[in-house]
This record gives sequence, structure tokens and C-alpha cells, in this order.
Amino acid sequence: MSTPVAFFILRIASALTLLVLLGALFWVMWRDFATASEEVDANRRVHGRLVRLQEIDGRYVASPEAFPLLTLTSMGRGPTNVVPVEDTFASTDHALIALRGGRWWLEDRESTNGTSLNGIAIDQPIIVTDGDIISIGQSHYRLELE
Amino acid sequence: MSATSIPQSAEHNPLIPAQAERILLVVAGVFLTINTLALVLRGAAGRDWLPLLIWVICATAGHWWLNRRFPWRDPLLFPLAMFLGGWGIVIIERLAPLFAERQMIWLVVGVVALGIVTAVPQLLRLLRDYRYTLLLIGLALLLATIIFGTNPSGQASAPQLWLGFDTIFFQPSEVLKIILVVFLASYLAEQYPMLRALQTPTGRRNAGLSPRIIGPMLLMWGLSVVVLIWQRDLGTATLFFIVFLLLLYVASGFTWLLVGGALLIVAAGVVAYALFDVVQLRVDIWLNPWIDADNRAFQIVQSLFAFAQGSVFGQGIGGGSPGYIPVVHSDFVFAAIAEEWGLLGVIAMLTSIAVLVARGMRTAARLNRRAYLSLLAAGLSLLIGVQSLLITGGVLKLIPLTGVTLPFMSYGGSSLVANFIIVGLLLRLSTEDVDRGA
Repeated sequence: MSTPVAFFILRIASALTLLVLLGALFWVMWRDFATASEEVDANRRVHGRLVRLQEIDGRYVASPEAFPLLTLTSMGRGPTNVVPVEDTFASTDHALIALRGGRWWLEDRESTNGTSLNGIAIDQPIIVTDGDIISIGQSHYRLELE
Repeated sequence: MSATSIPQSAEHNPLIPAQAERILLVVAGVFLTINTLALVLRGAAGRDWLPLLIWVICATAGHWWLNRRFPWRDPLLFPLAMFLGGWGIVIIERLAPLFAERQMIWLVVGVVALGIVTAVPQLLRLLRDYRYTLLLIGLALLLATIIFGTNPSGQASAPQLWLGFDTIFFQPSEVLKIILVVFLASYLAEQYPMLRALQTPTGRRNAGLSPRIIGPMLLMWGLSVVVLIWQRDLGTATLFFIVFLLLLYVASGFTWLLVGGALLIVAAGVVAYALFDVVQLRVDIWLNPWIDADNRAFQIVQSLFAFAQGSVFGQGIGGGSPGYIPVVHSDFVFAAIAEEWGLLGVIAMLTSIAVLVARGMRTAARLNRRAYLSLLAAGLSLLIGVQSLLITGGVLKLIPLTGVTLPFMSYGGSSLVANFIIVGLLLRLSTEDVDRGA
């Protein structure tokens, strides 16, 4: 094999490796992007439900109204909340349920009339779990984790 | 692992940094092997397999160390640095075989420096705590260069930008640029609440003109001017000022900073054009190199010819004649790439640098709740990005030529080591938690 031919083949090989390198770069970045977007999706995932309770003959039973439980679930009278609370005692941004360090925390966002957990008013962020009743004014919600 | 086995869900098969890094390093290694083979087949004196061997050892050692130290690092930073550094060595071996041995030693030093930077525990906090000490060291270095500076070429007329010990020379501005970014990041992080509070909807915008912002901006501008006047180091002065301005912009978000800074640069440029021959020359040959193509504009004109010769796929390593460009192995290494690897090589190189910078900026964005780390990541990646833009733009005659090195690829030990230190710091930053205090 003559030398010019060898050089020509090496030139092609060199160009091809550059293309492969570019491809590998984009592949790694694509995979990284996919992993990152999975993480973001996990934050948006529905972790459970908040079921609104209604009073029938002095007993509270689940109403058909249910809201998704997100990593950050805001409650209040404002229309932008995940759980819009239609209650005259509710503040615009009333309370927040947040996943922090693997646990669910309920905190009051300095509302006018306060938030209750299982009938007791909370004065600091508190851990909530499956079946807990969260009350804002005359509205009651049952937490159902998945 | 082939591209066909990409799983649909990354959740069950997340990207392992070690794996991705290995793939990229192997491809880079294959590229370097092919080009070294072509170079050895050309059979000129002083060209052998030693640089490749050294590169493989460095890459393997660095890869092994990072796997142990930071299993969840950014997988792109180290392979890209090694790819560009290795390519640089091959080019220097081709262009100036006499310098290749030195550059090999500097590559080893650079990788060791990266190892040290990633090894020292709590390094980022230490840098922050001792920022004024660092700044003093930096200014002392600058002063020492102004007083004792020499030029390895020995010419009295050349800029005296090096500090020499016997036969070893190093360029303090390369260390200085890292020190300045570290200092500015910690300084601006300290001022961060102030800077950010200024642009609340209710706040008056003219509060942005407070001495807190204007002060350091003018100080930095003054420092750049000192570098320019006493050192005639156009490139470093421009680099310092642009990076500083962008960092201040990242920290504060004031658009007028960019406009004002650009005006300051233009003003400094106009004054420098009138006062300094070197600036006048650079601007003149940028506007029209063809008047004096055989003499003062010889370098830039030959560089343009090299680009034309390179075409799409290049002449192949050793096939072109980039030797016509004076000191091609230093600032004009980009032209040599264009001639021998063509447009494809240029795209590969620019993409690599762009990805490196983008990954750094991604780290900065990810850490946006920790002001110091975020600004540090942004500043370090901007250093590489702006420097690359200045020199590639200059070689292409898109902007006036400012003599800075092409990161990782130009001949020059200080530059190579400094860039490996930057990558080491970025690797550390990429493993920091998003939360956990400032």
C-alpha cells in the first residue's frame, strides 16, 4: 500500500473519529438532560390526594371533590392554589403541604384564621401522615397518601 | 455500550458519569492515536509515540482518581479538557517538535494540579475565607511582573509578561485571572442581597448606581488599564475586564452594566489607539491587512490563507503548511487546526469548548441558591469562553487580534496548568449540593 493512500485513509479515519466524538458528546448531554427532566417530573408527580369532606347528618364523609397532592401543595382562597379553598375564613395564601426530607409537612402561611390538623390549631410546621384531617375555616380535607 | 441501547426511561438506567467519561476518553484517544500514527508515518525527526503514551497515562490516572473522589461529577468536563489538551500536544509535536517535550511535562503538571485541586478538602470554602490574602498575592504577582518581568525570547522590545527562574518561565496573568474570579465571586456573593434587593419592583432603579457596584467596576477597569499600559498586554487586559463585567452582570442583572462596560471598552480602545503603537497596529491590520500583507500583517494574512487551504476536511495532519504563520504554535494554533483538520476540526474544537463552557454555566444555574458557588462557576467558565472567543475571533480577523492563548491547545505551560485548575474547580462545583447553606 502506497504512502499517499495510507495518509488518505488516516485522514478519513481522523474525520470520522471527530464526528463520533461530536455524536458521543451530544449523546451524553442528551442522556444527562433526560435524567434531569425525570427528576423534574418526579417533583411534579402526584403523591396522593386531598379529599374534601362534607357533613351529612353530623358525620363527615368524603365528597367527590379531590385534589392532587404535589411536592408543593398550596391551599387558600386564591385561584392559583393547587387546592382552592372556597371558604370565607380562608386567606388568599392560607397553608402549604410540602415534601421535605422524605416527610410531609403542613405549615400555615400566616393566615388570618389559622389552620387545624385533626381539630387542633397548628402554630408551627408539623408532620402529617395518611388519614390526617386538615381544616381551614369550615372546610375539611383528608390526606390520602399513595 | 452502543447508541442503539438507549433505554426509554432514564429513571431505571441513569447516566453513570464514569461510564460516559470512559466512552469520551476512548474516542478522544482513538482520534489522537490516528493522528499520531499519521505524524509518525511522515517520519520527521523528534516525532514519536511518547506524547500519546503520556496522554494515555494522564487520562487513565485522572479518570481513576475522579471515579474514587467524585463518582457523581459532571461527566463532560474532564474528557473535554483531556481531548483539547491532547490535541494541543499533537499539534505542537507537528508544528514545533522542539517544544513538544516541554508541553508534555506541562500536561502532566496540569493533570496533577487538577488532582490536587480536587483532593484538598473544603478548598472552595478556604478560597472564600482567604480572599483578601489571595487578592494580595495576585496584586504582588502583578507588581513583580511589572518590575522583574522578562520575555523567554529575550527580546527587549517584546512584552515582558513572564517571571523566570533559570530556564522555567511562567506567566503570572494566568494565575491572576483565576485569583480575580475567585475574589470577585466571593466579594459579589457578599454583596448579593444588596445587589438583588435593588431591583425589587418597588425599589428605585437608580439605586443601582450605588458606589457598591460602580466602585469595584472602576477599580477593575483601572487594573485592566494598568495591565495594558505597563505590560502592553492587550489580551489579558481585555479578558479581565470583559469577564469581570459579565460576572457583575450575572450577579446584579443590570443591563445598563453591559452597555456602560462596552462604552468603557470602546473609550479605552480609542485612547489606547492614540497612545500605543501595538494597539494601533492591531486595529489597523484588522481593518485592512492587505495594505501591508508582506510585513506587519503577515501573520494574520497567512492565517487567513491557512483557513482557505483547510477547506472542509483539511489537508490532514502534516499535509498543510501552517509553518508560514509566524509563532503558529502559540496564539495561532487555531489556524493550524483549520488548515490540517478543516472546517470539521474547527467545528469539533469550537463545540468542545462551547460544551465545556455550557456545562460550567449549567453548574452555575443549578447552584443558583448558593451565590458564591454559582458566581464562581459562572466566572470560571466565562474565563475559558471569553478567552476562546477573543483568540478565535482574532485569528479569523473578526475582531482586532488580542494576544491570548487558545485554552488547552496553545503552547504555554502556565496557560495549560491554569486551565486544568479551572476544570478541577468546575468539577468540584459540579458535585456540590444544590442546597445546604450559602
